[in-house]
Amino acid sequence: MYRSQTLALKYFSAAITLFGVMTITGLISAYYYLNPDFLLGILPFNIAKILHINTLVMWLLMGFMGSIYWFLPAELGRETAGIWAAEILFYVFCAAVAVVAVVFIFIQYGGSNEAALWFINQGRKYVEAPRWAALGIVVIMVVFAYNVIGTAIAARKTTGIITVLMIDLIPLILLYLIAFPAISNMSADLFWWWWLVHLWVEATWEVLIGCIMALALMQLLGTSRRIVETWLYIEVALVLGTGILGLGHHYFWIGTPNYWLTIGGFFSALEPLPLLGMVVHAVYDAGAQHMKTTNRPAFYWMMAEAFGNFIGAGVWGFMITLPQINLYAHGTQWTVSHGHFAFWGAYSCGVISVLYLVLQKTRNLAFVDGPLWKWSFAALNLGLVGMTGALLVSGFVQAFVERAIGGSTLNAFISGQENAWFVDGMVARFLLALVFTAGYVVLVWDVLTLGRRAPAVAAVAPAQ
Amino acid sequence: MSGLATLETGLLLGLYALLAGIWGVLWGLAQFRQTQICGRSAAAAYGLHVLAALTIILWTPLGFGWKSLIVGSSLVFLAIPPMTWRLLQHTHQKEGSEHDRQPSQYSSRIVARL
Ligand code: HEM
Ligand code: HEM
Ligand SMILES: [Fe+2]
Repeated sequence: MYRSQTLALKYFSAAITLFGVMTITGLISAYYYLNPDFLLGILPFNIAKILHINTLVMWLLMGFMGSIYWFLPAELGRETAGIWAAEILFYVFCAAVAVVAVVFIFIQYGGSNEAALWFINQGRKYVEAPRWAALGIVVIMVVFAYNVIGTAIAARKTTGIITVLMIDLIPLILLYLIAFPAISNMSADLFWWWWLVHLWVEATWEVLIGCIMALALMQLLGTSRRIVETWLYIEVALVLGTGILGLGHHYFWIGTPNYWLTIGGFFSALEPLPLLGMVVHAVYDAGAQHMKTTNRPAFYWMMAEAFGNFIGAGVWGFMITLPQINLYAHGTQWTVSHGHFAFWGAYSCGVISVLYLVLQKTRNLAFVDGPLWKWSFAALNLGLVGMTGALLVSGFVQAFVERAIGGSTLNAFISGQENAWFVDGMVARFLLALVFTAGYVVLVWDVLTLGRRAPAVAAVAPAQ
Repeated sequence: MSGLATLETGLLLGLYALLAGIWGVLWGLAQFRQTQICGRSAAAAYGLHVLAALTIILWTPLGFGWKSLIVGSSLVFLAIPPMTWRLLQHTHQKEGSEHDRQPSQYSSRIVARL
């Protein structure tokens, strides 16, 4: 095994651990809606939510990096360049995440001064880490990009997928820099912040997961390189063609010019189209292989990725992306419902799929199957889809009662929050979150014991 | 737009996109199982998708431009499954006996020498 692949395993362990932290902090955040006094004076809602969504971003990034560190050396036929730096930075990364979490939990707030930006919180949603840690993340990502590009240079060759990946990493890293500047004008601040959030999840991350799924598809189903590459180029063109200007769907109400209403609505309404292509591709692969594969969990999670991306991002996003609807849906639980479904479908499922592929190789398993992954697959997906359904109900109430009828006054906000349907939605979300959490526990159990359980679920492959 | 119209339109838009997805899946299934039932249910899914589109066009207070967009993307949704399929079949056919099918480490199809 290459050192790069050993490092990949470490990244996956860290990612799955942070996935757990994300789940716990999600449960805590959700519980405030049932009992607002919960942890009163100890841990406020906003800190729990910060932990929830920042660990989300971190575990996905770690999962992506792990996937690339896994595939890269095999793809280019040599050890990853500068792997020693990446190995050191992995520990720096973990330590930084831990310190930042401790500061969020115990210090929570700073004054409105530079010191707070440096040591407590930089303040932009999803990328709230204080400046020292954010600088660390930049270094880690730059070294990561160097690992990829340097390996291609050292190997004196590049493949189609790796070329797309190298080009994609540049804007991906540059966009992260938006986490840094302190902008006091709210409109300007949001204008740039959306570049980071939207052009990550609807452009650069989509390309990145496209590369990862292409690499995974070759390993999982033995699909030929030319097929996955042709496909990747088309997808990238379509996703970027619709996704970049789709950015405008966040420029409806933040003080940006009116033309964004048209541009944002138009381009983002086209975003589901390429996602349907991916679903059709998934059906094709499933049918062509007669569902036969040596790694069923990886296969099913990959299918879940294609479907989840279409439904979570495409369908759930499409509901709220026209300005007329967004006027009322904006920032309600309706958005939260979409956010959960889309992040889950497009990214989390893909990372879990690669994790199973990696485990098959490292544990040397001819077949990966068994009851545990099915239970976790079912519980995680049912829990998550159920949660998004419950959030949708609560979101409808907010859009209707608080916004449309009530005109967004404070009173209207309160009547929205007290509405029986809203409250029921919040209760249902919490119960379904417990199902999701159970699925997470089973996932961890399966991942830890796969191929080590007695009686062995999977036959051991002959030594290669 | 009134409150109720917002909810109705939002739901219809979701249904519209979801049915397009179901159409795509069923159309794909129909290619593998050449049974009538598969082909018909795919057609039915697209029919329902068109119905959702018509409801949006005739019933909701969206403006003319947005309604045209709905019509246009319905047409694209119609074309995506067969177009994707043809592309996939085309690339898979050409694959033949090429060494290409090997795991990536043995056949880095190199696009550039650095
Ligand atoms: C145990 C499961 C989970 C629970 C209980 C949970 C709960 C929550 C809660 C209460 C919020 C705050 C929403 C608000 O401001 O009212 C939130 C936000 C968020 N969660 Fe989760 N979550 C869970 C799992 C996940 C997963 C698996 C993902 C993604 C893969 C995710 C992604 C997000 C995102 C992106 C936000 C920010 C949404 C926004 O502010 O619009 N969560 N979650
Ligand atoms: C993988 C892709 C996607 C992910 C991970 C994703 C995630 C999210 C998240 C987390 C938010 C909430 C942001 C916040 O306020 O904190 C959001 C908002 C939004 N998303 Fe997506 N999304 C994706 C794709 C799409 C697509 C394809 C569409 C349109 C068809 C879309 C439409 C929207 C709209 C309109 C909003 C703003 C909602 C509001 O005004 O509150 N998204 N998305
Ligand atoms: Fe967006």
